[in-house]
Amino acid sequence: MDIAAIDSSATLGRSWLHQATPVAKLWAFTFVLSAVIVSWNVLVLAGIMIALLAVSIAARLRPGLLLPLALYPAVFAAVFAFSAAPDVLTGVTIVLKAVAAALAAIMLVLSTPYPQVFAPLQRLLPVVVGDALLMTYRSLFLLLEKFGNLLTAVRLRSGFTTGQPVRSARAATRALGGVLLYAIDLSQRDHDIMRLRGYEGRLRVTAPPRTRPAVDVALVAGSVLVTATSVGWRIYSVALNPFSWLAPASALVLLLLAFIASRRTTR
Amino acid sequence: MSHIHIPDGVLPLWLWLGGWFVALAVVAVAARSAKGEDVRRKVPLLGVISALMLVAMSSEIIPIAYHINLTVLAAILLGPVLAPIAAFIVITILALLGHGGVTVIGLNTLVISAEMLVGWALFRAIVGLLGRNRVALGAVLATVLTLIVSTTLLVGIVWLGGSDAAGRETGALDPADLRFENPFAEGVFSVGLLDGGHGPEDEHAEDDDHDSARSLSVGRFAAVVFTLGPIGWILEALITGAIVGFISRVRPGLMFTGALADERRPIPGDETGTS
Repeated sequence: MDIAAIDSSATLGRSWLHQATPVAKLWAFTFVLSAVIVSWNVLVLAGIMIALLAVSIAARLRPGLLLPLALYPAVFAAVFAFSAAPDVLTGVTIVLKAVAAALAAIMLVLSTPYPQVFAPLQRLLPVVVGDALLMTYRSLFLLLEKFGNLLTAVRLRSGFTTGQPVRSARAATRALGGVLLYAIDLSQRDHDIMRLRGYEGRLRVTAPPRTRPAVDVALVAGSVLVTATSVGWRIYSVALNPFSWLAPASALVLLLLAFIASRRTTR
Repeated sequence: MSHIHIPDGVLPLWLWLGGWFVALAVVAVAARSAKGEDVRRKVPLLGVISALMLVAMSSEIIPIAYHINLTVLAAILLGPVLAPIAAFIVITILALLGHGGVTVIGLNTLVISAEMLVGWALFRAIVGLLGRNRVALGAVLATVLTLIVSTTLLVGIVWLGGSDAAGRETGALDPADLRFENPFAEGVFSVGLLDGGHGPEDEHAEDDDHDSARSLSVGRFAAVVFTLGPIGWILEALITGAIVGFISRVRPGLMFTGALADERRPIPGDETGTS
């Protein structure tokens, strides 16, 4: 997991999706997630997934970053689908549900700085939980970097040898142990810094200014449309199922338009 | 495999919503108990230990669809009060990174919290029996037993959601009657958008057919989980045991009293406190 690349995409991106307010993006995410939860139609789910890909292209999110993260849960979902689903089509539907929901979540994280994603949650949660949530993400950067450095150091000292798995495992475990000790020291240092800065409980996150209200409205309206489509197909499934192909077909048109628009912008 | 990698919308509404309510109640109680004078120490400690669990959980062992959790190790360091909070934080961040569903955050929190609490209690009991010299073995045994308990809990949740409950909640499984037709072949309004295009009796007949087909196979799921799981349990136990052994040699206080117990800072280079 390249957490630095995720953060750089969220903070340095300048697309219309980055400029939408976090609240609008969280609402849009909630509606898309509801659509994924409600739908059991493999083609409607494929349509949602393609539409999300279209949005990601229009927002110029890096596919090399987005797609591996979105496909990661597919492995676990495939194991579950293989073992629990009654037939292949249901299994495919379960995997599509996982990928579509993951795609929506990752698009949110790739276009919104993490304090802004967690801020609404932090306001609702107890102080210790909300603040620790913010501290965790920050610590994750530091620990991943430290772990990477330790592994490089072990490799340079020939700690990892292909013919000696026990020695390699010992070296890797010591590196993890080293990260753990570093983590404990890091928490003590953070404690000192927070004490110096007069922390009394509740870290404050300032909401960004609303620069493009039209984008917010369009984003939420689009996601409401996706939910309405999904709910409609669920309620009137018997009548609408034969026409399910319309969902991926219209999403494909959207994908094509997004692709053309992104090519024009690049030129 | 100890927490639920089931996508959003597969488990019935009552189950995942119930999971959310119970998990939030558990986290609220834990947060209330954790609140006190040393809250400033607990917040950064929770942050780093949760981050450590995230580092472990983000690396998957592909052939067996398993990832290391380090839950028992985190529980030893954090203690039983902070464990549910760390579980909630880790699961929430993982869900936002697409790893695990948002709707199952509550159930996942409960499974991971149970894993941490059972792991902490077993570690203490086993080390009490074997003595402090066999702390690594204690951690290995505690981890394996804990993972057996949490995996059984996971299968129990799928059993709760996968039988009749899933049948009622998921509605018509559309893949079963998937066809490709032109919506405009008989005119735009003849598709019967408002009446569903079928009489109520026909609809119920189709629903009954779907109900029998859409149930999840809990037996097969349990068989897969209990076949692939042990490989992961052993790996996780060996890694946890090795780290616990290493830490107990370098800084034993952390293992036996937890990370919050000692406010004394170790002198760099003299972590064992011998000089």
